Amino acid sequence: MSASTNSVPNSSTGSKKSLKAFSDDIWKNKTAKINAELFTLTYGSIVSQLCTDYERDFVKVNNQLFLMGYNIGMRLIEDFLARTALPRCESLAKTSEVVSKCAFKIFLNVTPQVGNWSSSQDAFSLFLDENPLSDFVELPMDAAKELWYSNILCGVLKGALEMVQMDCDVFFTSDVLKGDQTTELRVKLNRVLKDEIPAGED
Amino acid sequence: MNSNQKPEMTEHQKQQLQFQLFQESLPKVNEIVYRMLLNETIPMAVSVQNRLSDNSDTQGTLGQELEEKLVLDPLKGHVPSHKLLQQYLASESDQQAKIDNRLNQIGFSLGQKLSQLLIFSNNPSLSFRDMDLLAVMKFVCRDVWRQVFGKQIDNLKTNHRGTFYLLDNNYKPVESLALDDDKSLEEKALIDPYLQFPCGVIRGVLDSLGFKEEGAVICTATLVDNAESSKSKSPISSRAVIFNVQVAVEN
Repeated sequence: MSASTNSVPNSSTGSKKSLKAFSDDIWKNKTAKINAELFTLTYGSIVSQLCTDYERDFVKVNNQLFLMGYNIGMRLIEDFLARTALPRCESLAKTSEVVSKCAFKIFLNVTPQVGNWSSSQDAFSLFLDENPLSDFVELPMDAAKELWYSNILCGVLKGALEMVQMDCDVFFTSDVLKGDQTTELRVKLNRVLKDEIPAGED
Repeated sequence: MNSNQKPEMTEHQKQQLQFQLFQESLPKVNEIVYRMLLNETIPMAVSVQNRLSDNSDTQGTLGQELEEKLVLDPLKGHVPSHKLLQQYLASESDQQAKIDNRLNQIGFSLGQKLSQLLIFSNNPSLSFRDMDLLAVMKFVCRDVWRQVFGKQIDNLKTNHRGTFYLLDNNYKPVESLALDDDKSLEEKALIDPYLQFPCGVIRGVLDSLGFKEEGAVICTATLVDNAESSKSKSPISSRAVIFNVQVAVEN
């Protein structure tokens, strides 16, 4: 535990490299792992069951996946904070880095590229070159039009970021499964929430 | 290099080691993510059931309007997981059955694909020459369980006429639930949906290995009753689950 807190990267120069090394260390030494293909197949079974339940109304499937992810994200952030002990990010740029290099790394063992910043620096994109949810997945014609297969990721990010007081819109703008060149996940910061009692808990 | 150190290693052990190394070299993801995904399927199935029943009530233009709003705000109608689980307990038994069935189906389609994944990875403990029902069940207990739950089934019993008892002393998906020895009826009822997925997996694996006929495989699971287990000599954890598998066999 002390080793992990010592190696928490500070904001000085070279923090990019140390964040990567820091995450690599957590992934290699402090993480129980399972076969990625099992994960892919299980997620596939869930999505296909939803498509059956909603009679291939993919808008509803997208929404259900998002809500499912949202519920997961709200709890996953706790595990993330406990594991990394990272301090609050001082900027959205820092957040984007932590999400891609640290969160995606220690949970899914991938590191999406960050890019496509908006001019006002309040929105960025994550480019998923690899996506363990959709390995070997091919969508049927009807699904390729409307289904955002990995939409659960949006929900997870939304839920997790909200728990650290960041109200964001998270959505896919393109997906290789739909025939696009890239898989792009957009994160747009609406506002930073004040520390307050969660809704419904008063 | 390993064979130099241990020249007494048999061919089978070598294969086992090779298989293990191969398994370790495969791409991985964090186990926590997988466990959370699996456990979140239960509130999700409840949520689906709620929405399906809602829709049948408000058909027509009103329903469509609602749908459009739903797209604009992805969190519309969001219900947190624990509330959904409470709703499961409060719902009618036919609704519960539909939810259970949904979870069972997810397990079934995973099971169907899982046997392919496990068989085509050169697993030395599998041989097709004598793949009878008992061998298939051993495959379920050993390889399937280890892949999905990270441990093997602790005890397998059979009457050699198609009935099997599989005992899992510490069923993984309920590991994080606070289960005391004296569980309330409500708590027990809440475990049921967590037992659907593995039943589906067992059916799916058997289906993909030739036991395809409708109703040929019946699989149920129950939490081991503690009052019963405390009498026996070996203490059983409060998370022990028995899977009862009935396979209709010819002759």
